[in-house]
Amino acid sequence: MTDSPCHSSLYLPFECEIVSVTDLTPGEKLFRVRRKDGAPLGHLPGQFVQLSLLGYGEAPISVASSPTRDGLFELGVRRAGTLTGALHRMNAGDTIGIRGPFGRPFDLPRLRGQDLVLISGGCGLAPMRSLIQYCEDRPDEFGTIAILYGAKNRANTLFKEDLAAWQSSARFACSLTVDNSSDDQCYSGNVGLITALIPPLAFVPEKTIAVIVGPPPMYRAVIDELKKLRLPAGRIVLSLERQMRCGVGKCGHCTIEHLYCCQDGPVFWLNEIEHLRGAV
Amino acid sequence: MKILHPAQLNNFIERLAKAWEVRLPVLLPDGTRVIGSPGDGPPALHGGAVMGKPTSAFFPHHGTLFTSDGGKLEGPQNPDLPLFVLGFTPRDLACLRFIDRFFADGLCDDVYFRRRNNALVAGLSGLCGPGGIMIPPAGGGCDLEFFCDGSCWLVIPYSDGGREVSAGLSDPALPTSVELFRQAALSQPDEQEELLRRASELLRADRVPDHFWAEIGDRCIACTGCNLACPTCTCFGVQDWRSAQKTERSRMWDSCQLDGFMREASGHNPLGSEALRSRRRIHHKLAADPEKWGEISCFLCGRCDAVCPTGIGMVAVAREMVARFG
Repeated sequence: MTDSPCHSSLYLPFECEIVSVTDLTPGEKLFRVRRKDGAPLGHLPGQFVQLSLLGYGEAPISVASSPTRDGLFELGVRRAGTLTGALHRMNAGDTIGIRGPFGRPFDLPRLRGQDLVLISGGCGLAPMRSLIQYCEDRPDEFGTIAILYGAKNRANTLFKEDLAAWQSSARFACSLTVDNSSDDQCYSGNVGLITALIPPLAFVPEKTIAVIVGPPPMYRAVIDELKKLRLPAGRIVLSLERQMRCGVGKCGHCTIEHLYCCQDGPVFWLNEIEHLRGAV
Repeated sequence: MKILHPAQLNNFIERLAKAWEVRLPVLLPDGTRVIGSPGDGPPALHGGAVMGKPTSAFFPHHGTLFTSDGGKLEGPQNPDLPLFVLGFTPRDLACLRFIDRFFADGLCDDVYFRRRNNALVAGLSGLCGPGGIMIPPAGGGCDLEFFCDGSCWLVIPYSDGGREVSAGLSDPALPTSVELFRQAALSQPDEQEELLRRASELLRADRVPDHFWAEIGDRCIACTGCNLACPTCTCFGVQDWRSAQKTERSRMWDSCQLDGFMREASGHNPLGSEALRSRRRIHHKLAADPEKWGEISCFLCGRCDAVCPTGIGMVAVAREMVARFG
């Protein structure tokens, strides 16, 4: 006979209201959300929630806003299947379910006092935005901050207004690039892979930490560039994308060898995982 | 210790069923031996481990996470009566101990423990293995154990619950102990345990090359039988079922041998080949779980080797691995 204590219902979502919906790109929207009970989400940058729509299931979505902002939180969501398709048809005032926040956040105590290089690609800007906003709201806690972002093209660039604000802010050195601009005669910015933005960086490896969030193929190439600049694995942070079905370390879909991405991650120091098969 | 004569078994079960939801090995009309309810068929305690995973009593193939009726969410109901599950061999009990740990660790899985808490678990051992061979007694790790001495069941309680349900049974005529059988089994080297230990060392030392997994993967037909039979496989998918009246969110066993197991919405698939999936199945039990839990999570129940149509169950793969790279 066993009597293990379970203090709460692990799989029951709580209700949230969509406060506003904004188009980010043709395929991505930003949902501004608040808990119906008025409580804050209680997250830290880098964490995710399980977004729940009755009849459609659940999906892990990174929180795209900082807890330093108002009591609301934001989710940047790409339309990629039936659940996200249904979400994209929803409007302000509609109700969604949320579980979480889950996962290991960015290691803010270790980031504090360091110069930061924040590198993201595609949808990776959503979780990175949470950290950038946090740094923006607590400017005295961090050293210099470089933001590098790469998108497929200008139309698929997320958070355009934020990027413009970060580019004009004295607090950040913000560089952007797109993979392709052939269909966009008006574009005059950088064209090429995000790795091209790294060599010009002049950072001191001993006081710099790089954070990378992006599509899986981006990681190895970016890490190689950072290592050429003598940044050690212990100063490189990754947030990994995996298929997290439960978010609570039980369903087994997000394992990386012995680690559960949803609980041990999604944020890892590179030296914790670079030796693990399939991690990056 | 108490004694239960075979002729008393049905009465004993009937009495139990007044206070417990009883599950025990039964023979279905089609000849299949499963852990089922007393009404499913006559008791079939002889024959060794039942082929279906016994841990399914607590982690069923399909289990409700919650239902929504008009927007109001309700978690799964507790069983009307606590479960009494008979049929765990000593190796099955080791599996149960492992998944108890798994579901309790970190964020405690309340859906699992709704069924597991207050349940009584009964082991099965003695001369009741396949063909009447001896299954060494567990000596603990359960609430009570049914040990076949060849003619009767010796019922050995290990917990207050076990003592309570066996209290009405007779005392044996002579002082009896099964400890000698347990000690005798412990003194014998277990060839398969040694095999797994050596295979685990090879994997953890990264001495098994990728081409080996490509060969194993080529032999896998992705039937998922290994995962569905394994008592320590706990992976599940989550899905919603809609009807006119309500929506049910449930979980269902999943298999790491399926291509879509880890495929992400972006199309990225960390287990995108049969070689990688075959490696994952073995590596997880022999290398990843020892790293996380401090022990190999295959307890040699034999089910995956018995059900695999192409002969790549755990012991078969470990044997090949050790023979070629050990």
